[in-house]
Amino acid sequence: MIGTICHVSWLNLKRDYVALCLTFVLPIVFFSIFASIFGGMGAAVGGGGGSSAMGIIVVDEDQTEISRRFVEAVNSQEALDVAEAPRRTDENPHPEPFTRESARQHVRQGGAPIAVIIPAGFSETFGNFVNSGADVDLVYDAANPIAQPTVAGLLQAAAFMAAPDILMENGLEQFDAAGGMLTDDQRAIMQQLKPFLRGEQPWSGKNDEPADEPVGGAATDVAGASPPEAFQGLVVVNAIRARAVEDEDGGEGPDMTAYYAAGISVMFLLFSMAGVAGTLLEEEERGTLERLLTTKLGMGTFLAGQWLFFALIGVLQIILMFVWGAVMFDLDLWSPNHLAGFAAMTLVTGGAAASFGIMLATVCRSRAQLGGISTVVILIMSALGGSMVPRFVMPEFMDTTAKFTFNGWALDGYLKVFWYDDPGQSLASSLASIIPEITVLAAATVVFLGLARLMARRWEAI
Amino acid sequence: MSDVLAIHGARKVFGSTTALDGAELSLKRGEWLGLLGPNGAGKTTLVKSIAGRVRLDAGTMTLLGEPISGTARGDSDVRERLGVVPQDLALYPALTARENLEAFAALHGIDRSTRRDRVNWALDWTGLADRAREPVKRFSGGMKRRLNIACSILHEPEVILLDEPTVGVDPQSRQRIWEMLRLLQEGGASLLLTTHQLDEAQQVCERIVIIDHGRSIADGPFQELVEQTIGTSRRIQVEVDGETVFEQIDDVAAELPALLDRLRADGKPIGDIHVESPTLQAVFIHLTGRELRE
Repeated sequence: MIGTICHVSWLNLKRDYVALCLTFVLPIVFFSIFASIFGGMGAAVGGGGGSSAMGIIVVDEDQTEISRRFVEAVNSQEALDVAEAPRRTDENPHPEPFTRESARQHVRQGGAPIAVIIPAGFSETFGNFVNSGADVDLVYDAANPIAQPTVAGLLQAAAFMAAPDILMENGLEQFDAAGGMLTDDQRAIMQQLKPFLRGEQPWSGKNDEPADEPVGGAATDVAGASPPEAFQGLVVVNAIRARAVEDEDGGEGPDMTAYYAAGISVMFLLFSMAGVAGTLLEEEERGTLERLLTTKLGMGTFLAGQWLFFALIGVLQIILMFVWGAVMFDLDLWSPNHLAGFAAMTLVTGGAAASFGIMLATVCRSRAQLGGISTVVILIMSALGGSMVPRFVMPEFMDTTAKFTFNGWALDGYLKVFWYDDPGQSLASSLASIIPEITVLAAATVVFLGLARLMARRWEAI
Repeated sequence: MSDVLAIHGARKVFGSTTALDGAELSLKRGEWLGLLGPNGAGKTTLVKSIAGRVRLDAGTMTLLGEPISGTARGDSDVRERLGVVPQDLALYPALTARENLEAFAALHGIDRSTRRDRVNWALDWTGLADRAREPVKRFSGGMKRRLNIACSILHEPEVILLDEPTVGVDPQSRQRIWEMLRLLQEGGASLLLTTHQLDEAQQVCERIVIIDHGRSIADGPFQELVEQTIGTSRRIQVEVDGETVFEQIDDVAAELPALLDRLRADGKPIGDIHVESPTLQAVFIHLTGRELRE
């Protein structure tokens, strides 16, 4: 009996090619995608693979031999792809090197996750083991929490590689200065440092709070530093948020809520649309579609009506998601620029998702097929487009792949509205910044609906 | 009576299957026509081609004097005068009877001012007025069937195609449905009905067309079909001396007295005599054979 049941089940599966693919091909596809994402991520942040390096900006304000050697050492890190000037284009064949401000703007607008600023005077403190080292400013995008610590670590490695001769020379000089019999002052400094090194006493702010007692130069710097800065290797990395200067109230600015609200809502929107689009197939199975088509209703009108309804449902779903985010997670939805951008993005996203759902329904022959196929397609698009895994952890080629997904464009649009917006921007220029996303999603709507209309011909006269 | 629907040489091939192979059909104004045939004979294909759901490969169709193609779009004006009752219960189960009727009335282009009256008429006509606000999923099979018909005739079509309108319902509901259709016919509508209920088709249809292998093989009133197929031959059932005797005679009027004389001559007592009337089923089997169709 059990054997017969198994045999019948196998025959059913074997004769349903879609179910067969879902059972055996889908796991392989998913494995491949995630292996690409996370395998590439290791290379990107850990220095593994060449083509998947993290693109960063370097601005050399020092312009000395040491700073140049440092830049070269940073450039030699396989995990980093250094740019000192914007890419050449036909409009700008000879781009000017980045400045501190242009680099910050570039990071701020999502052009790169990090900008390394080597300030003037860098070479004067480079290789000084007694001082806390040369300062380097790291302008970062808080949307990418991985890039900043990764690059900071790689800068230390670069610093060691950059100028070993200088390190040796400075080391010997400092040994010569501090070597020999310790003076009373040196002993006092050592005593003074011990509690800090043991962690028995908190470090006070190097710049904000003066040392309790006036002590010798190098020791004063070290003693006055905060813990993370006290031992920072050869270069002191001053992490600066790309948006910090715009946060007038000193707050944290936009948090990751916007990112996840966009990512999750787009993914679930697609699932919802695929679900409601299943009613199209229900109409066919129930026979109501047959009846509808004998009335004055044509297939085009029928699809248009369905699309409108689904799009409204989609828009409503996104609105609920973001309002929930605003109420519960302090997502900044209510400023005029955000509200206008959100409205524009939501309309095109809802419309495009609805047409995508209808297209899927017209391609599938049954609700079971629709359920299986839509799950696969949506999960793949969500993975590639950044709804499931933030795109900044993906290697560059995966980021490019995202441009071929619905999620990628929708997510980019919402991020421009909520993340990469400029508070000083006018409403018009704020909306203008999302024109590419709106255009692509609107075009996707037309294409999906066109395909759906084409596929729906099988329901018309045969 | 003029033809409101005429089909000549209808041909349709699906892959390697010939569904229609030169079928002929005509429906006269105010007539109730039964379209019969075994499974796979081409009935549904023919009905769907009239409804604009199947595009013919060859042949001509005219509806109310106007030529129609196999697609609904090109003939929308004349097709508005056609009502198609599908075999499936093509209703929205979560909607109430009234909501279903209102939806299909709107889709048939009935304007808002008259829609309510038509819906109320349909509810009365189907006997569902007191259940108008109930979701259809709670209805019995017979109630759904009645509503299914009503949704297709709200726009008062002159020609009505009914694809097995009584399938799966009890005798009481079937009777009610025939009464409803009779009212439509009395109102001037022409009805084309496909059914496997041969006894009922025999009773209600004024003319029968039998189709098999995509071709029309018989066409005429029931009695005419009987004459064309079975002829005047009848089976006589006579009870003789407590036993039932069957005899086949070609002419009842001429041969029955002779048969009785012969039986009496044997000196045995004669009891009940029964002349079996020919049925549509007998005609149907005579024409289409006993071979099982799948």
